[in-house]
Amino acid sequence: MTGNWVANGLSQDLPAHGVMPGQWQGTDLAIWRAGSGRVSAWKDRCPHRGMRLSHGFVRGETLACIYHGWVYGTDGTCRHIPAHPAMQPPASIRAESFQVREQDGLIWVGPATAANAPPAVEGMVAVRSITVLATHEEVAAAAPELTATAPECLRGAVVAGPAAVDLCLVLQPKAGATVVHALAGAGADLVAASRWLETLRRTVESGVAA
Amino acid sequence: MISPQVLNEWYPVGMIAQVGPWPGRLTGLLGAPVVIFTTGQGAIVVQSARGVPLAVTLAYGHVWACPGTPAHALFALPEATQPGRRLVDCGVVRVKCSPLRAVENFLDIAHFPFVHTDILGAEPHTEVNRYEVQIREEVDEVWATKVHFYQPQAAKSAAGGIVTDYMYRVAAPTAAVLYKTCPNRTDEWDVIGIFVQPLTEELCDVYPYMALFDDVTPLAELIHFQQMIFLQDRSILENQIPRLLPLDPGMEIPTQADLTSVAYRRWLKRRGLTYGAQRVAA
Repeated sequence: MTGNWVANGLSQDLPAHGVMPGQWQGTDLAIWRAGSGRVSAWKDRCPHRGMRLSHGFVRGETLACIYHGWVYGTDGTCRHIPAHPAMQPPASIRAESFQVREQDGLIWVGPATAANAPPAVEGMVAVRSITVLATHEEVAAAAPELTATAPECLRGAVVAGPAAVDLCLVLQPKAGATVVHALAGAGADLVAASRWLETLRRTVESGVAA
Repeated sequence: MISPQVLNEWYPVGMIAQVGPWPGRLTGLLGAPVVIFTTGQGAIVVQSARGVPLAVTLAYGHVWACPGTPAHALFALPEATQPGRRLVDCGVVRVKCSPLRAVENFLDIAHFPFVHTDILGAEPHTEVNRYEVQIREEVDEVWATKVHFYQPQAAKSAAGGIVTDYMYRVAAPTAAVLYKTCPNRTDEWDVIGIFVQPLTEELCDVYPYMALFDDVTPLAELIHFQQMIFLQDRSILENQIPRLLPLDPGMEIPTQADLTSVAYRRWLKRRGLTYGAQRVAA
């Protein structure tokens, strides 16, 4: 049982001071990496005026809302309100936080209460993420050479280019689509693996359309 | 079912300059289609899909319509006919947001340094000092006065940074006007408005409007300046959650800088002007 963890991207795609949107079971998220490297995931809504925090900007260990510049620390509490620079914001003003685990090159997001760990995908390197306009089941059906090692992980050897590549696809459900976060065995031809993924997407999407 | 309080108000439905003869222009108001056209005699008609004419007022460059029985005349804007002012229609910007959120954003100053960076505001000049807000019962309008804010380029005609004085006014449920320091005339205010056409509760057409003392800046530059500002606002307005404006305290957290917004929400709620507002949470 891997619990409620959802892979929301590859670590390599979220640089320091970067912010990106994410999703956890239908809730929109703002996922960001502080200058120190620490990743946080919050509900994508500033409590002040409802602006998406995924449009915000990172300075050091804080994320600021793009609308009025309200500054939040990595624990989600509001640290500074620029319209009232001398005021200490009440502790009740906070972004709703989720748990984040960076593991095996993946950014996993779970509920604040999650006590278990995300599924392990050890010994592999990140290839890329690719969005496929299809369901989890349709993606899985298009890659019969892969087997599910966890509900969201498909793993196995595929023929990519001249050689076989050990691949792991970590699937993230997203409204109307599935995001495939792909990792490959060390030393694999990453370009060939990437092309294999594009072929997979074409196959799945043309099958869905037909 | 739209309440009579909402139906009996005035809303902009287009620019006078853009109305032509039948079949005219098809647009929408409060979720229903309306058509606007000029008659052979040159009168402007706004009518529903069933051919029923709406009450019409032509003012401030725009066509205003009331889908119900007008509860009062359209608000007064004396500056629109003041000699020496240039009246500038700035076109229209369609925004996927509640018409009330568009008005509220117009009333807000604290976002200037972050959304209109280096134009209407800049860090570290972010502080919003206390200002005065009142609901003027005699005209039934929300007013904010004694608003001061540092601006790097307050207007197209401003040469450098100045502390700008503002007054804000909610003149109708979806129309607001601001009065700000005029860089060219110390004895006058520049007047800028937004007239918001509620197409639906979550979609609106926004018409910026200006009545300025500025005989120098080319018209295209004035329009471009205002459009740039409003497109920056649109990137905010289309990304607020929820789309509808929450009227009940608790959903969002205001501070002292938001007193105008607080008064606007209270005024809407008290008057039952809840089209585009989030109903009370269960």
